[in-house]
Amino acid sequence: MFTTPRLVAIALCAALNFAIGIMVYLVKLPIFLDSVGTILCALLLAPDRRAAIVCALLAGFIGVVLSIPINPFLPWFMFTVLAIALVSALLTANAADTFRARPLPMPPFVGKVVMYGVVTGIAAAIVSAPVVVYLFGGVTGSGSGFVVAFFLRTGQQLLNSALLAGLTTEPVDKTLQVLLAALLYRATPQAFIAMLRPAQPSLHEPR
Amino acid sequence: MTPNGAIVFGLVIIAATITARDLPGLAAVLGVTLILALAGGRRALTALMWSAGIVLPLAAFMSLVWVGIVGRAPDEIAAGSEGSRAAAAVHVALVCLRLFIIALAIQAIVLRFAGWTPFAFVRALTAPPTLKKLLVLTLSLIETILHAVDRARAALIAAGIITRRQSWRNLRNGWVLVQTVWLTVITIAIGRMSDKWPIENTLARLDHALAAPVAARFVTADLIWVALAVAGLAMALGLR
Repeated sequence: MFTTPRLVAIALCAALNFAIGIMVYLVKLPIFLDSVGTILCALLLAPDRRAAIVCALLAGFIGVVLSIPINPFLPWFMFTVLAIALVSALLTANAADTFRARPLPMPPFVGKVVMYGVVTGIAAAIVSAPVVVYLFGGVTGSGSGFVVAFFLRTGQQLLNSALLAGLTTEPVDKTLQVLLAALLYRATPQAFIAMLRPAQPSLHEPR
Repeated sequence: MTPNGAIVFGLVIIAATITARDLPGLAAVLGVTLILALAGGRRALTALMWSAGIVLPLAAFMSLVWVGIVGRAPDEIAAGSEGSRAAAAVHVALVCLRLFIIALAIQAIVLRFAGWTPFAFVRALTAPPTLKKLLVLTLSLIETILHAVDRARAALIAAGIITRRQSWRNLRNGWVLVQTVWLTVITIAIGRMSDKWPIENTLARLDHALAAPVAARFVTADLIWVALAVAGLAMALGLR
């Protein structure tokens, strides 16, 4: 499973997860984009489902581990990383052909990006909510804290409020991440993708 | 202290902060964490300031939300009582103290190994060889990506495609920076895999270096520190 090109792909995607945060900081965008590498890893290994799950999870895990000295609270969201890796490898990877089709089929491309982004966001929100409640007391430092406050003011309990706030904000962020991963996947040279996938038997190959 | 001992110590301290429900329990865990930080000498001040720098903005934001907007604590919301801003402030203080201890423990550990290279740290870890290899490759590629970001950013700013400061142009063209960096690192990775690494025998050398035996997985100092952390965990459990 762990051929050299696959190890390099995992390392690249983990490094992307780590470094994209710095890029977002440099261009001062109001989003997170901390799982683009995880989703991209699943897309790169789309035909081999098991490898896609393991490699996407490893890319997410290593990205989080290396971020610990900078963001000590990120490891708490390890189960969110697992959820994103699973959704990416089992669902989003199904759209790999659409994401790479030329010319770009705009309606299916947009539809799949939004659909898989929303599903990833819902999964991430459900898995993150208990961590947000238990570790952060319901409010993290992000703007979604105001959404939690809104739901608390409407009489919701804390876990419900954190979950509803996550369901409101996560799909937007994750849709952007799936879009970015799809565009990077589209831009990846075919030579690199071919190195990651086992050789397919040719239809014209003599039997 | 070895990297393995440091990781076990950190995990026990984090378990203790999660177990502690109130101020006495958290104070006991903070005490143990402070001992580790202070054992680092002058680095203790750096660790304290770094942790405070992370938690203080969070505390300000949480205070705004809990004390300013919500106006009552979660247990009061659960009980359906009217609640008070004072109880909300206590809730914020407890959460922030827990986050501060976690940040301090991690920073104290990081500073303890400040003189080590990342490779030496990874090599000394007890972990599957593939995971250690991946960590080393990722660290190497992070450097590559950061250099690519610097070069691409400077080029795109010079070309007027993005700006140094926050702008709509950055929002519109931020993607160009990401794509430029990705294509650069992919090209470098393909080059390394097909030419550089086979000629230099890099991966075999890396495997050999990572497989070489380290002095000791755990030393006596590790056991003392872990025992101290376990004592903190026991106090946190006992004070619940």
